[in-house]
Amino acid sequence: MTHAEAVELLGAYALDAVETDERDAVERHLQDCPRCRAEVADHQTVASFLGSAGGPAPEGLWDRIAGALEEPAPELRLAPVVPLRERRSVSLRLGAVAAAVAAGVIAVLGVQVVHLNHQVDRMAEPQRPQADLVAAATDALTDPQARRVSLRAPDGRASAEAVLLPDGSGFLVAGQLPALGSDRTYQLWALAGGQKISAGVLGARPQIVAFRYAAPELSGFAVTAERSGGVVATTNSPVVVGTLS
Amino acid sequence: MAIDGLQEASDAALVLAIARYHEEALAEAYRRHGGAVFALARRLLAEGALAEEVTQEVFLRLWSKPDRFDPERGSLRSYLLAQSHGRAVDLLRAETSRRRREEREARQTAEAGYDIEREVLDLAVGEHIKEVLDKLPSEEREAIELAYFGGFSYRQVAARLDQPEGTVKSRIRSGLRRMRADLVDAGIGGVWSES
Repeated sequence: MTHAEAVELLGAYALDAVETDERDAVERHLQDCPRCRAEVADHQTVASFLGSAGGPAPEGLWDRIAGALEEPAPELRLAPVVPLRERRSVSLRLGAVAAAVAAGVIAVLGVQVVHLNHQVDRMAEPQRPQADLVAAATDALTDPQARRVSLRAPDGRASAEAVLLPDGSGFLVAGQLPALGSDRTYQLWALAGGQKISAGVLGARPQIVAFRYAAPELSGFAVTAERSGGVVATTNSPVVVGTLS
Repeated sequence: MAIDGLQEASDAALVLAIARYHEEALAEAYRRHGGAVFALARRLLAEGALAEEVTQEVFLRLWSKPDRFDPERGSLRSYLLAQSHGRAVDLLRAETSRRRREEREARQTAEAGYDIEREVLDLAVGEHIKEVLDKLPSEEREAIELAYFGGFSYRQVAARLDQPEGTVKSRIRSGLRRMRADLVDAGIGGVWSES
């Protein structure tokens, strides 16, 4: 399928209104064509406004979904500590205890293998942020001690979230930040005492970036777009900005 | 593990937490979008039980493959609704659903005032969407409605409207592009491509 042929089908494709063979051909084209991918995403956004109807989902549906999720890994059960004076009976029970522990370990390993498969599946995606960075950012986002700032563009079309832990380590999670050209970069600024203090250069397509900001004073964060390498002080208007609530 | 402040978390942060197996984050995504996901599937399938199945599939897929959602490509709602629509259309096109579709059409014809506008008004932006729809040339609007809410392929739409397939194909695309431009002008919609 040529680009021109694919383009003609993009509207119908985004509404699931193409035949199976056409869908497969369009999807092969989309793999190599960022412009068509962007157009499909836009069509789907338009469609989502048409489809955003309805009240709450039926009662009990969430319970069924939650019930179908993978079981979390159970706590690893250790063999009970046996006081010395009961040693004599230990040999009698040893077989049973060993069997119980082995069964527990096998169960735990089984669950972990399922989870590892899940992780490997996701890590195969090239753009996915490093797993430990994701883990650290999630922990920070869910840490009750953390200060969180939602950054927004004035027109609502770009967003990010910053989280700062009491020890000064922070993470910026890009919500919607349009990709910049390779000669430009986003830069994070801490807002303190009417000043913008650079908290780090984020790159042209940030997803999750770790940063440090340990000064006690902080009123918010801003992100600007700068030339590649970043700047010491910015005169640009923020792409997104947010203040501490 | 209790998670504070999930209700204020962005969709991207929610999906990040879902990728780390935080069930509460999935519950919050469901609270925000479950109703719309279900309503769209039911609109297409005209059957609550099947729409529940689709909704369950959509959220289990978000749980097992959270990386399929790319926040740069659109909102979480747009992603989940696209999933719901695709799955519902698959079911609708399956041989076994033919009869169901006929029954549904009979019912819709019987209902006076069948109207797409009523379906979108629960949103804060509903009024804008209504205006944007009203501005569409009627032939574009008709093609989009039949494809999106009827679950018809553009070829089926062409047959129903007695129009050339190529015409219907381009009406769907030009209608969607026109609506996008109007939505952008009205300042609606989070993520649009820069083109």
